[in-house]
Amino acid sequence: MELTRLLIANRGEIAVRVIRACRELGIESIAVYSDADARAQHVRLADRAVRIGPPPPTESYLSIPAILEAARATAAQAIHPGYGFLSENADFAAACEAAGVAFVGPRADVIARMGSKIEARRMMRAAGVPVVPGETPGDQSDGGVQRAAELVGLPVLIKASAGGGGKGMRRVADAADLRDAIQAARREAVAAFDDGTLYVERLIARPHHVEVQIVGDAHGHVVHLFERECSVQRRHQKVIEETPSPLLTPALRAAMTEAAVRAAHAAGYHNAGTIEFLVEPPSGGGPPHFYFLEMNTRLQVEHPVTELVVGVDLVHAQLAVAAGRPLPWVQDALTQRGHAIEARVYAEAPARGYVPQAGRLLLFREPRMPGVRVDTGFAEGDEVTVHYDPLLAKVIAHAETRDDAIDRLRAALRAFPILGVDTNIPLILTVLEHPSFGDGQLDTGFLDRETEALVAGHDSETLPEVIRAAFAADHPGADGGAGSSAGPNDWDPWSPANGERR
Amino acid sequence: MTVERLGPGLYRVAHDGRQDLVYVAGPAGRRWAFWNGRVFREETVLDAVSARRAGRHGAVQHILAPMPATVLSVLAHPGARVARGQTLVIVEAMKMEMPLRASADATVKAVRCREGEMVQPDAILVELE
Repeated sequence: MELTRLLIANRGEIAVRVIRACRELGIESIAVYSDADARAQHVRLADRAVRIGPPPPTESYLSIPAILEAARATAAQAIHPGYGFLSENADFAAACEAAGVAFVGPRADVIARMGSKIEARRMMRAAGVPVVPGETPGDQSDGGVQRAAELVGLPVLIKASAGGGGKGMRRVADAADLRDAIQAARREAVAAFDDGTLYVERLIARPHHVEVQIVGDAHGHVVHLFERECSVQRRHQKVIEETPSPLLTPALRAAMTEAAVRAAHAAGYHNAGTIEFLVEPPSGGGPPHFYFLEMNTRLQVEHPVTELVVGVDLVHAQLAVAAGRPLPWVQDALTQRGHAIEARVYAEAPARGYVPQAGRLLLFREPRMPGVRVDTGFAEGDEVTVHYDPLLAKVIAHAETRDDAIDRLRAALRAFPILGVDTNIPLILTVLEHPSFGDGQLDTGFLDRETEALVAGHDSETLPEVIRAAFAADHPGADGGAGSSAGPNDWDPWSPANGERR
Repeated sequence: MTVERLGPGLYRVAHDGRQDLVYVAGPAGRRWAFWNGRVFREETVLDAVSARRAGRHGAVQHILAPMPATVLSVLAHPGARVARGQTLVIVEAMKMEMPLRASADATVKAVRCREGEMVQPDAILVELE
């Protein structure tokens, strides 16, 4: 199939990312949007844009009929689902197939199998991939799950088979808390996924999250593109990702990438996917252990670090595979060059429990410097709404060494002014300067344990003299009346541009 | 100290033998500034001052909606004694749950929201005394 027209069933930075790839490849891009996004970046940049419904995701970006109707009306040959929304929805992949539109991703049955954590664990074990020691109780009553937990040995994690994002998950260290935790996990799992099936895993102490990027094609090839370390997380959401992982030795890297390729073959996997592992740091002299955690059947948010270090374009590869072409690379030609690190800039207030922030981006100026890439779906003047994920931008730095990449990312974030909503940039800068981060020793619980200490002192009650001087100079008519503060002035009564838009 | 306007929202501040770029945006009295990775707000400073004043007068801090949100559950009942840090309302916005907690020991005077209701920023959800 010659792919000439692609619909992107997503929004924000990932829709912009895919639209740019289309432009490079001469493919016509079709954006979809809810009423909240009528003027969003992805709508502005695409060749065509189709309204699919009101702001709530269930009535727009999660509506399979609305998206398929947009694909039909525009004669799209394929749909790229991005990440989140419908990207790991087996029913959507099946519906695309039934409608004669190519789904840019694996087959529907593979998505369904990997969406069941219990089924994925069973399949990985059969393929010889290590999984976290645990039990899947055949008896799903409170008592049955409790006996499974006792068999595994406390502390344990109670997890939902359909789970994700920490929902339906409970950590239990004390036998007296087991029954309450089992009931709470089941309630949450039923509410979030309509499936209350639970299983039990041994709790891994202070694990690192390391994942392996794989891509497969329809001709039986699977390659890996090495690992990403994503241990800096808040509430199961990644914040900083990098490659290579500072924790992996060459031997461990070889074992993990080999296991990931085996897992992808076992799953009959096409297109881009990620095998997530937990790595247990060594206690004593032995090597670290790694365990299969889950497989994500889509492009990941953090894919750019792999693109920079391996020197590939993962979206181009996804579109080639979806068009039935073989992979553009062979394994032996792929190597890691230098170090890349990504920070996710969120509109949120870390000091107040990471409350997401909404508002207008009064000022938003992306840093421009060598070795820095910024992926964003926003521009100055845009509105950050409450309807969607608060990710504002991804800032990715690439350099020869890990230390250089960290320095480069810090410089980029210090030159990325975002005004109008609070962001986590000050927190990211503090983490990047933390000695444990410099040593590559952070585990997945670090940020949740330390947030309070890390943000202490970020809110100052008094304004430094430099800021007061800038405020004093920033008044109507400043410097010949060219205008005062930046940003859209249509609502600003102090703007000299009143009634006369710039 | 000298300040030079370089463009919309962008100022160069020369001080102590060096110069810094400062970005400024927002309406007077509620302006934001960015300087070398740090963000400053006129409003926050004013809020901190008024909060200190409020603290001296022993004013009750009601539970307010932090942003446009949906009320998921109401855990407060009129007349109930609540302790500092106790969760009184859980709201959801941007797909995340947020517990709203009492800032001090208090008594619930009135509950002014329902589960499932959409609330606007600064709407009073629970009155405390």
